[in-house]
Amino acid sequence: MNDAIAAGHAFLAVMRRDLYVYLSYRTRIVSQLLTAVFSLTLFYYVSKLVHVKGFGTPGSYFGFVVVGIALVSIMYSCFSIPELVRQELIAGTFDRLLLSPFGAIRSVIAMTLFPLLYSFVLAAFTLGLACVMFGLRLHWSTVPLSVPAIGLALLAFLPFGLLFAALTISIKQGAIGVSWVIALISIVGGLYFPISLLPHWVQTAAKLQPFTPATEVLRHLLVDSPQSTSIGIALVRLVAFAAVLLPMSVLALSYAIRLGQRRGTIIEY
Amino acid sequence: MPEPALGQREDIDTSVARISRPAAAPLTLRGLTKRWRADLPLVLDELDLTLEPGTTTWVGGRNGVGKTTMLRVAAGLIDADSGRAEVWGVAPNENRARYQRLVSFLPAGDRGLYARLTVRRQLKFWARIAMVTPAHVEATVESALDTFDLRELADRRVDRMSMGQRQRLRIAMTFLTRPEVVLLDEPLTSLDAEGAAVLQAAVGEVLARDGAVLWCSPSGEHLEMAFAARWTIEHGRLVAA
Repeated sequence: MNDAIAAGHAFLAVMRRDLYVYLSYRTRIVSQLLTAVFSLTLFYYVSKLVHVKGFGTPGSYFGFVVVGIALVSIMYSCFSIPELVRQELIAGTFDRLLLSPFGAIRSVIAMTLFPLLYSFVLAAFTLGLACVMFGLRLHWSTVPLSVPAIGLALLAFLPFGLLFAALTISIKQGAIGVSWVIALISIVGGLYFPISLLPHWVQTAAKLQPFTPATEVLRHLLVDSPQSTSIGIALVRLVAFAAVLLPMSVLALSYAIRLGQRRGTIIEY
Repeated sequence: MPEPALGQREDIDTSVARISRPAAAPLTLRGLTKRWRADLPLVLDELDLTLEPGTTTWVGGRNGVGKTTMLRVAAGLIDADSGRAEVWGVAPNENRARYQRLVSFLPAGDRGLYARLTVRRQLKFWARIAMVTPAHVEATVESALDTFDLRELADRRVDRMSMGQRQRLRIAMTFLTRPEVVLLDEPLTSLDAEGAAVLQAAVGEVLARDGAVLWCSPSGEHLEMAFAARWTIEHGRLVAA
């Protein structure tokens, strides 16, 4: 019991550490908020050009894309984990985490807490700003349900970050493949445009990752967008992705660390 | 105040094999063998070492002879190709959490710190990661600030500290949870005379409660420590110095 409590405090300590480090860079928050403002402004005016089937008005496309932008920040936070691990390797703090009773695996998982929580806040800020500045109409009756839905989406996205973290520990490079995976998911995940515009075989491939059902569920809950599949099916798919990928990614991380210890490469950076 | 006996400490869980295996030593390295690459010679060749309770052992030798590799294996950071490291009879792969509670390792160099955190936050963070009981974290950190002469630096960020001050913080982190076995790799780096005295006092505190210290540095001529044994590594094995 004492161990469980101490472990809980250790998880919070990692989150607090990341918050302090984040706050020590005073201009970072301003820059990220401005990025959100610029993205919204850009897509607000782009939406005025959109006259395609499925979007009755430019406003309906704006609502569609704002949810996509909010999800992109969450997706980026998941894919920031390998870079965080790389920074720990370079600073020599990863060794200390590995040699602590809390351990490296729990530490890496704990490292995801602050970026995910922060991206959640940033996503809420983006939606709020879209309402205040550009008149986005949220579907308030189902907005509260989007909170647990985002939580589920995070559990389904997180394994991607952990898998890339395992790769970083093995090959000592954080950014390999991450940027093109993000670009690919932005396309097939339907973040900026409906996947119905894509070739049929790409639409089929889009079903093999959790970003598409996540955007569908959240668009339904936040802006009441029409859905290509039922919300129930999308939720089941999200649960299935989380249930299968999370244990797999933790195992991969554990294997990468043990392999590094056996070979002695865990000390390299 | 006398030190509480092992197993009675409240700040960390020390219910370890030392009680169930009283014959075990604080640290035993048995037949450690390590080769970094097939085309390179063995860096450790069936190396044996036992640290007795309440003793400090010095291991020296030229750069690259395997001192750091030996410490890394002993710390549980990397595996040897063969052989076994034990702390009070426990090997890292048998019970990693317990092993890491008992051993603390100060690597050489100036790495292992979060540059943007203050000294106090750094210590608090590592106390939490070391799974110090939440109720004891504050006292552990405050005690370390005094013991390692860091009180004046408590609210200073690490990237604004001198190398010697950073080394004192790294030493404080190493001794923070009062480990049973302390592994020191070139601990005097950047330390002034006061810093070295603080380090010696911390080592003395470990010895007083029947722990053990393994101290590695290329040469030991400037040390005023009372080493129970002095060794150098030659061709992967320990030779009396």
